[in-house]
Amino acid sequence: MPRGGRAGRGCYDPPIFRSPGDPLKRLPTLLCCALVAAAGFAPGPVAAQAPKKVVRMAFRTAETGFDPQRIFDRYSVGVCENLFEPLLTYDYLARPVRLVPLVVEAIPPAEEGGTRYTFRIRPGIYFADDPVFRGKRRELVAADVAYAVKRFRDPKYASPYEWLFENKILGLDEVAKEARRTGRFDYDAKVAGLEVRDRYTISFKLTEPDFNFLYILAMPNVVPVAREVIEAYGDDTMAHPVGTGPFVLKEWVRRAKIVLERNPLHRGYELDARWADPADEWDRRAVDALAGKRLPLVDRVEIYPIEEEQPRFLAFINHEHDLLDETPAEFIDQVLPNGHLAPNLARQGVHVFREEQPEVTYDVFNMEDPLVGGYSPERVALRRAMVLAHDRDQEIAIVRKGQAIPAQSPVPPGVVGYDPSFRSTQQDHDPARAKALLDMFGYVDRDGDGWRDRPDGRPLTVVYKYNAGSQSNRQLAELWAKSMAAVGIRLEAEAVQFADLLNDKRVGKFQMAGSAWIADYPDAQNFLQLLYGPNTGQSNEARFRLPEYDLLYRRSLAVPDGPERNALYREMNRLILAYAPWRLGVHRIFNHLQYPWVKGYKKHPILYTNFKYLDIDVAARRAATR
Amino acid sequence: MTAYVVRRLWQMIPTLAGVILLIFFLFNWVGGDPAQVLAGKISNPEQIANIRKQLGVDQPYWYQLLVFVKQVFTFDFGRSWSTNEEVSRILMTRVGPTLTIMVPVMLIETSLSVLFAIMVAYVRGSLTDRAIMVICTTAMSISFLVYIIFGQWLFGFILGWFPVQGWSESYWKNLLTYAPLPILLAVAVGVAPQLRLYRSFFLEEINQDYVRTARAKGLPEKKVMLKHVLRNALIPILTNVGIYLPGLFVGSFLLEVFFSVPGLGREIVTAVNRSDFPVIKAVTVYLAVLTMVVNLLVDVMYKFVDPRVSFK
Repeated sequence: MPRGGRAGRGCYDPPIFRSPGDPLKRLPTLLCCALVAAAGFAPGPVAAQAPKKVVRMAFRTAETGFDPQRIFDRYSVGVCENLFEPLLTYDYLARPVRLVPLVVEAIPPAEEGGTRYTFRIRPGIYFADDPVFRGKRRELVAADVAYAVKRFRDPKYASPYEWLFENKILGLDEVAKEARRTGRFDYDAKVAGLEVRDRYTISFKLTEPDFNFLYILAMPNVVPVAREVIEAYGDDTMAHPVGTGPFVLKEWVRRAKIVLERNPLHRGYELDARWADPADEWDRRAVDALAGKRLPLVDRVEIYPIEEEQPRFLAFINHEHDLLDETPAEFIDQVLPNGHLAPNLARQGVHVFREEQPEVTYDVFNMEDPLVGGYSPERVALRRAMVLAHDRDQEIAIVRKGQAIPAQSPVPPGVVGYDPSFRSTQQDHDPARAKALLDMFGYVDRDGDGWRDRPDGRPLTVVYKYNAGSQSNRQLAELWAKSMAAVGIRLEAEAVQFADLLNDKRVGKFQMAGSAWIADYPDAQNFLQLLYGPNTGQSNEARFRLPEYDLLYRRSLAVPDGPERNALYREMNRLILAYAPWRLGVHRIFNHLQYPWVKGYKKHPILYTNFKYLDIDVAARRAATR
Repeated sequence: MTAYVVRRLWQMIPTLAGVILLIFFLFNWVGGDPAQVLAGKISNPEQIANIRKQLGVDQPYWYQLLVFVKQVFTFDFGRSWSTNEEVSRILMTRVGPTLTIMVPVMLIETSLSVLFAIMVAYVRGSLTDRAIMVICTTAMSISFLVYIIFGQWLFGFILGWFPVQGWSESYWKNLLTYAPLPILLAVAVGVAPQLRLYRSFFLEEINQDYVRTARAKGLPEKKVMLKHVLRNALIPILTNVGIYLPGLFVGSFLLEVFFSVPGLGREIVTAVNRSDFPVIKAVTVYLAVLTMVVNLLVDVMYKFVDPRVSFK
């Protein structure tokens, strides 16, 4: 038991002091009491009786709000996962991830060559109670799905996920275009691709084949909403989430506390253990804790956004929180010294879940830049030499504290299309090869100043832009400068504001810059689109336009998951390595900690919270914190 | 006095105009384009243009400035660009937690500083005086961040006297459970410089002729110190406290971030990071007005503390 462990006053409300008998320890309280008494304040309300099962945890970044179509940060979306329900979701235990129906009767087959998907919503699913419904139960219907999809394209909401339905649904672009012209989105306009056939049936007609469309409909913010709720709350929809999910928003002190409570109208879930791996200890524990029970089991969830790492870590160690998601890198040596759980944590029965994030970090070369861009052999050689000279091992050891694995392709593990056998030496750290390549293509020191020059004799200076507000980005930029200096390339690291960096990358006003991408849905296509030519100015920050690559990408869209598509992905990866528009970075590893009284835990690579699958052993917690 | 107050109020207008211009130009020149941040992971120029239109940053500068001036005089700064929350509501809900921390900090800090300062001034030159000055100088040399990190670890984790962080809806729970540790640390940091400053005020008064006269008349030392020295030293102390008063409403960003206090300090930094101009505008203007008003009040209070002061 840590020295900071304290006796519990209630089942979840941590007490202030350990020893009520010690007057010195009561000094702060007495001082405050005296102060308040002197100020003549009236006593506050008595706290309500605490519910039985409460999960308490921290978010490392503050949320923005809970209107699913208006948010994009993973923490706000993580809360929405519990308040709303998409048509489809992911099985909790299956790895690799597996889509399952949530509010629909079944996963529909792709029709008309992958351009049509028809869903039938299960009757008897209701929205959480809200004053807007005037005491009546409001059933989920197909029109709610169509309404939510239209909201993504309403210019009024400026949805950060508008791109999901851009050039996607037949007829929707025209309505969105008209809305931009008139300033008003016509929700009653007929959209050919959003066909509400009856009360429970909706059919999507796409503009072109898309075999990943179902993944989009499993995203936690692509969820049906009630039109009357949205219209009633107007500009305040961020604070009034009303969904069909297993929890409701009970209390929200912005950027300080988010409280969810079990939705009494929710129909409940059951754990599907069919895809559990008997050899996986997390699966076994989850099945033991949850099988056969009506979920959710916890009554209340308390989330505290804490941006600083120390209080977030101490709150967990101090038993103020039950879970610690994403153990801060600063404390990794205290939690996992030499890669093993620290003895003091092991004695308490703390579990650590090691998660390889479905994300990739990378450094982008601007392919339109006259110095580092272009497709000629000498430019390709320069980029490949820089890639070889960059010391990624140091990045992993020092900046990432060993909590990352080197990326072999843009596609991270755990994502459909990931090829674990795909390996290449072209992204290894090899300064000797880098120097040889530079010498071969004429990047040599011509004026004797110790730095290499361009083949035509002009100075070679590469500028690397990074986010001034990030300490780790500064470290990464310094590592780049050091690595390049080791092979004679002068690299200047330039700190810029985050907003300016985003803009510079969008308009191509940079030579090199760092970036990262986390999966929106678990398919390689979500990563490989980052280098698709027509996405230049949007997600294709490298402004990479290679006809062979674009052709392969378009072909992959028209093919369902299988060996044929994997072969296309493999070929695209080869082209990326050959032309080196990126220096592939790492796939980060996050360590999630839980006390033994948290039952059913298993981190999902796409879904962030999954409170509905947790249980709390209140007696065990009380005993451990006594 | 009325003429003086009216004149001072009148003088606030050009100052406020200067503040408005400064904020406006700083934001537009170095603030970054908020649309880039709000656009999300994937967006095209059309979508960014739409966001800029909605935020009003596509308008000519003169028009944006006009809107800003109108907002200042109507006290309506609209909604936050990042959370869509009404700015007035942000200010109202965040100022409470900030004051819950900062008012006790100021009261305790000032009381302790004045008390210790008059005590060490009384024993000036002694070993006690020198020891306290050395401690104060050392304490002042350490960063506030170190106090917070160490204090949180020691009092919150090792000793377990306070929760490491947190905030609730209940005023009493906040004051009695969550506020004591940040208050304690802020006081520990603030007392040292103030004590040194106030000691110098007291020493200056102790060396005045009237103090020597009072002692020559045979007044007891306690009366000399508390009635004559304290009262005369109160004017610079009042000025010093007045300077800090507007800061009460902004709070301490570090304290609020480390202890998860949903106060205004934390809000301001978040707003700057997210280029949330409506919040930045409102807080800056409100702080400028507050500073001017507090300065005026302090000047008026001089009259009551020292009858020799007259308004001209």
